[in-house]
Amino acid sequence: MTDELLAIEGLGVDLPSGGWLPSRGRPAINILSGVTLDLKRGETLGLVGESGSGKTTLARAVLGLQPISAGTLRFDGAPLESGSDFRAIRRRTALMFQDAAASLSPRMSVGEAVVEPFVIHRAPAGDRRAKALDLLAEVGLPPEMAARYPHELSGGQARRVGVARALALKPALVIADEPTAGLDVSVQAEILNLMADLKDRHGLSYLIITHNLALIRHVADRIAVLYLGRLVETGPTAEIFARPRHPYTQSLIAAEPRPDPRLRRADLAIRGEVPGILRRPTGCEFHTRCPIARDICRSTAPALHTIGTGHFARCHFPETTKKGG
Amino acid sequence: MTEAILSVENLSLRYRVPGGAVHVLRDVRLAIRPGEVLGIAGESGCGKSTLAAAMIDLTGANAERTSGAIRLRGEDILHLSADDRRRLRGAEVAMVFQDPMTAFSPVLTIGAQLVDFQFNRTGASRRDKWQAACGMLARVGISDPDHAMRRFPHEFSGGMRQRAAIAAALLMRPAVLIADEPTTALDVTMEAQIIHLLRELQADYGCAIVIVTHHLGVIAELCDRVAVMYAGQVVEEAPVDDLYHDPRHPYTQALLACDPARIEERSGRLPAIGGRLPDLRTPPPGCAFAPRCSKATARCLTDAPPRVVLGPDRSALCHEVAP
Ligand SMILES: Nc1ncnc2c1ncn2[C@@H]1O[C@H](COP(=O)(O)OP(=O)(O)OP(=O)(O)O)[C@@H](O)[C@H]1O
Ligand SMILES: Nc1ncnc2c1ncn2[C@@H]1O[C@H](COP(=O)(O)OP(=O)(O)OP(=O)(O)O)[C@@H](O)[C@H]1O
Ligand code: SF4
Ligand SMILES: [Mg+2]
Ligand SMILES: [Mg+2]
Repeated sequence: MTDELLAIEGLGVDLPSGGWLPSRGRPAINILSGVTLDLKRGETLGLVGESGSGKTTLARAVLGLQPISAGTLRFDGAPLESGSDFRAIRRRTALMFQDAAASLSPRMSVGEAVVEPFVIHRAPAGDRRAKALDLLAEVGLPPEMAARYPHELSGGQARRVGVARALALKPALVIADEPTAGLDVSVQAEILNLMADLKDRHGLSYLIITHNLALIRHVADRIAVLYLGRLVETGPTAEIFARPRHPYTQSLIAAEPRPDPRLRRADLAIRGEVPGILRRPTGCEFHTRCPIARDICRSTAPALHTIGTGHFARCHFPETTKKGG
Repeated sequence: MTEAILSVENLSLRYRVPGGAVHVLRDVRLAIRPGEVLGIAGESGCGKSTLAAAMIDLTGANAERTSGAIRLRGEDILHLSADDRRRLRGAEVAMVFQDPMTAFSPVLTIGAQLVDFQFNRTGASRRDKWQAACGMLARVGISDPDHAMRRFPHEFSGGMRQRAAIAAALLMRPAVLIADEPTTALDVTMEAQIIHLLRELQADYGCAIVIVTHHLGVIAELCDRVAVMYAGQVVEEAPVDDLYHDPRHPYTQALLACDPARIEERSGRLPAIGGRLPDLRTPPPGCAFAPRCSKATARCLTDAPPRVVLGPDRSALCHEVAP
């Protein structure tokens, strides 16, 4: 048994332009391209990047919820190609949604919601009621919660229900899309600690999608940074935060507001917005916002440079290290 | 000390709910001085948004003030005539919300709405108003404002919408700008840009800003003073540097201690406060934080804590804080 759980190689996703309308004749919009990434058993990988960078699309592609246009996927040693391959990975992978409360059906009690995955995947659950209470206990919710409905839950409780649902089918991989968005720091810590406990207990792997760098620094073993659908830097968390090599990673870390008034920034770490996906810049796609861009950046796409073991950056000048953070 | 422009005096407010009432604000006192930036922090459900909405008399229909006053330049805003209330909203006090979509109607262009927001400028022509709006969009960092004026809100990104909402709020040159979680829906880079923008605008226009957020980083970047709320009360008030470097109330201390951004050492587990806010339908007789407080003594559970004055701009609501 190898320790690789998920391998993504050269992944590309194109969407037909024009939304729901028939796309014949219209050019496809490229959302993700050349994404190569792997996840080991028991590892937590943090996927970061600005809004619209393609984080959710990547997760959907891995689960077969989004057709891919290039590349290969492998889960637990087996390639993911056919519909039945993806059905199999969906049974062993749980997705925690960006908005926990809204993703729960308002007409389903908490007890029903946590065992719903058995129904969806037609898996035998045995005694559903007992199973529901087990799952609630696992995430630290008292049994009387089973009778509650989503609108009667606090934000933190709704997240716990989301975690319980994710655990129902004893997954190998949990993909958590912004698992603590909108929560207070204290409740956020409770959810992250719960996820860490469950990881230890069940040997789970996590793919955590977030734009909260302060949080991901504490929980991820490795970080992958997406910009406009390309991986611009991947590496061990401690190294990425101590010595970020890609100017985009440096800017992201520097942009994070620091909870200390003595560390206020006079200037802005990063200006402007992500260029529209329809107007991808030439050369290095970050050059329009990059503080160190030179001529070559405007004309030529940079290759992925190896910085160290498992640490890569897609930049022409990965040695021009500014101190991050 | 400068006279307050907006002051909240011993305000208590409750929401009527089936079978009773939730006591959401309890004896809140707060003064906003001209040109200062005040932050309101505290965990979800502690009453921050209710307090912000009360400052502009926009609380829901089931809200009921049980005591106290909110004064704008000395006048109680809840005793204003309908005309004066209209003048208050927008011209004197303007508000920016978490979801920038709520500021705009989806069916009108941004430009048409920014012109309409200037209803109070009776002397100005439509063209003047259009130009003022355009200038304000440019000021908040929207490139090609002429083009942007003809767009609909859904054609803007989240960051652009929040900029436009801030432009709308500033068009009337309010004396106080209240922003409820203005960056919570945005990503890190947009958040940093909005903070930077608010700071610049505050310097340019000199309006006071009240910013409500549970993101301690945003407050540290932006505010002069901070009020920390817990269960409907202001439990600590302090200049921003004191709050972060010498927090005195046990709740403030606990809140700062569990911010992952303040924890250098990487560890698999993060500190949490544990427990919940009390049920505000029946507020506890003693300190509302007592069941979760590491410093609590017997009297904390039975007696309401005193407001301990710690300096000219500092106070804490706690039995165990020494003056
Ligand atoms: N169904 C769709 N049709 C057209 N474009 C889409 C669709 N879904 C996503 N996109 C586009 O794909 C890009 C990536 O979107 P995605 O939701 O993956 O980003 P994200 O990184 O998850 O962002 P966020 O942080 O806001 O959740 C965006 O530019 C988005 O506008
Ligand atoms: N219209 C209403 N009717 C009844 N209860 C309400 C109403 N609005 C708010 N509440 C309750 O009052 C309390 C305070 O709410 P408020 O929105 O002021 O908190 P907050 O500090 O802004 O929280 P958050 O950080 O989640 O925005 C909460 O318990 C909330 O559920
Ligand atoms: S009054 Fe007591 S319980 Fe409340 S914060 Fe102070 S020490 Fe803690
Ligand atoms: Mg997403
Ligand atoms: Mg609020």
